[in-house]
Amino acid sequence: MTNRLCYVCEGGDCTEKGSGEIFERLRELIRRFDPQEQRIKIRRYPCFGACEVGINVTLFPDKIFYSTVTEADLPEIAAHIEGKGPPVQRLCGKAQPDVEQIIWDMLDSPY
Amino acid sequence: MTSIVDLEAKIPNNVGLRDNKRLLMALEKWQPAFKRWWQELGPSDFNNKDVYLRTAIGVGQGGWAHFDYVKMPDYRWGIFLAEPVPERKIHFGDQLGQPVWSEVPGELRNRLRRLIVTQGDTEPASVEQQRLLGHTAPSLYDLRSLFQVNVEEGRHLWAMVYLLHTHFGGDGRDEADAMLERHSGDADNPRILQAFNYPIDNWVDFFCFTTFTDRDGKYQLASLAESGFDPLARTTQFMLTEEAYHMQTGENGVGRIARRAAELIKEGKDPAQEGAIPLAMLQRYINHWFSASMDLFGGEDSTNAAEAFASGLKGRYREGDGIYKDPKALDQNYSLQVPTDDGRIETRDIPLRRAMNAVLLDAYIADCKRIADRWNRDIDKLGTGFRFSLPDHKWNRHQGVYAGFRFAPSGELIDEATWTHQHTEWLPSQQDRDYVKSCMQAVREPGKFANYIAPPAQGANNQPPEFEYVKLR
Repeated sequence: MTNRLCYVCEGGDCTEKGSGEIFERLRELIRRFDPQEQRIKIRRYPCFGACEVGINVTLFPDKIFYSTVTEADLPEIAAHIEGKGPPVQRLCGKAQPDVEQIIWDMLDSPY
Repeated sequence: MTSIVDLEAKIPNNVGLRDNKRLLMALEKWQPAFKRWWQELGPSDFNNKDVYLRTAIGVGQGGWAHFDYVKMPDYRWGIFLAEPVPERKIHFGDQLGQPVWSEVPGELRNRLRRLIVTQGDTEPASVEQQRLLGHTAPSLYDLRSLFQVNVEEGRHLWAMVYLLHTHFGGDGRDEADAMLERHSGDADNPRILQAFNYPIDNWVDFFCFTTFTDRDGKYQLASLAESGFDPLARTTQFMLTEEAYHMQTGENGVGRIARRAAELIKEGKDPAQEGAIPLAMLQRYINHWFSASMDLFGGEDSTNAAEAFASGLKGRYREGDGIYKDPKALDQNYSLQVPTDDGRIETRDIPLRRAMNAVLLDAYIADCKRIADRWNRDIDKLGTGFRFSLPDHKWNRHQGVYAGFRFAPSGELIDEATWTHQHTEWLPSQQDRDYVKSCMQAVREPGKFANYIAPPAQGANNQPPEFEYVKLR
C-alpha cells in the first residue's frame, strides 16, 4: 500500500467553488493509471485553511500545495502524479506558508 | 455495493429498515418520544415557521442533500450510513488486518456501548442548550444556521439510537430512552459531559461552541469513523459530512464578529460604544471555549484510550489514510509535559497507546490554530493591530494531567494568587457577559444584520445573504 496521498479540500469555500467535482474528476484521471491505489491514495480533506485561494489540492510526501485549481488544471496535475510531467508551478505558492506547514506537520506525524 | 435509500418510509433510511420488522417497530415506537422531546426541549417558539433547511436524502457524493422550506417538526430525520467498503479490514491496533465486525464482539460490548452513549448524549444536549437562542438571532441567515445545526444534531441522535437498537438489544433500547430522559442542566438527571449542561444563551457563545466544541465532536467522530465495528464507522463517516457545516457556522460566525469590530475600529469608532464586541473581549470567549473543549478529549495519559485503540474501536485522526508510521503504535513513546508538586514541568515519556487522547488533541489544536490564523488574516486587512491567539494546551484545564494546576495562557506555571489576580483578563467576566447580553438584539428583516456581526461572504446553498431564510410571517 502506498503512502503517497492526494487531498482535495472539501471545506465550505472550496465546496462552494466546486471541489466535489474536482475530486471526482481528478480521481477518475488517477484511476486510469492507478486503479487499485497502488501509487497514490486520493481523499477528501475537511479544510486546509487557505480558503481565499481555493480550490486547494495537496500532494504528500511531495509537499506540493496547489491552489486556485480548476478542472482545466487536472490533466497536468494527474500527469505529474503519474510521473509524466513536472509539478504545476503556476498553482503553487499561493497559500500562506504557515497554512501549508500545518498540513505537512499533521501528515509528517512522528508516530 | 450501493445501499438502497428509502425516502418514503416513516423513518427515511438506507439500512433496509423495511426488511427488519422488529427493528422498525422498535424505532417507530421511539419516534413519538423523540418528537415530543423536540417540541418540549428543541428550539422554542419557531416550530410553525418555514425554515430553508438542508435535509439528508442519501449518502452519494453527488447531491446528498435537498434544500427547501420545512417546518422543523416536519423535518425528515433519517438513518444514513456511508456506503460499505467491500472486504474492509481493521487498519490499526492488535487486530490489524482482520476483517471488520458487522456485529459487536462480546468482549467489547460494554466499552462500545459507553462510547456510543457518550457520543449520542451530546447530540440532544446541544439542542437543549441552544433552545432559546433563536429569539435573539442577529439575522434570518443566522437563525436558519442555528436551526440547521439543531435539526442535524437531532439526526445524529437518530444515528446513535439506530446503533443502540440494532446491536445492543434491551440494554440498547433502555439507553436510547435515557437519551431523551437526561436533560441539559437538569439537577437530577443531567447530560453526561459537564460542558453540555450550561445554557448557550448568546451568539458569541454559540459561535465559539460550534467552532471549538463541535470541533471536538469532529475529532471524536473521526476517530470512531476508523473503527473496526463497521456500522459505527459508516454511521460516523456520514455524520462528519453534516458536521462540517456546523463548524463552518462557528468559524465564520466568530470571524464575522471580529471583522465587524475591526471595521468599526478602522472607522475610528470604539466597538464597545457601538454595540459590537471588542476584540479583547472576544479573545476571552475564545480562551474559555477552547480550553473547555480540550477537556472533552479526556486524560492525556489514559489506559481506556489505549484499550480502545488496541481493540480496534477508536483509531487516530485519519488513521485510514496511512499517515502514521506504526499502525499498531507499539514501539513508540509520547513525550508528555507533566507538572510536578514542587512547581516544575517535567517531560515524561509514556507508551504511545496510552497517549491516544493526547495525539487526537494535538490534531485538534493544529486545526484550531489554523482557524485563529484565518481570523487574524481577515482583521489584519483592516489594520487593527490586534491578533487572536490560542492559550497553551495546559491552561485552564479541569480534566487530565493539568487539572488542579494554574497556568498562564503562555503555558507558564503560576501560583494561585497570580491566577486570582489575573484570570479576569483571560476569561469572560460577569461584566463581559452582561455587555454581550446587551448586544443580543434580534434582527428579522431579510438582508439586515445586528451591528455586532458582519454579513456572511455568501449565503446558504448559493442563495444571497438577503434571502428570506426563515419565513416569520
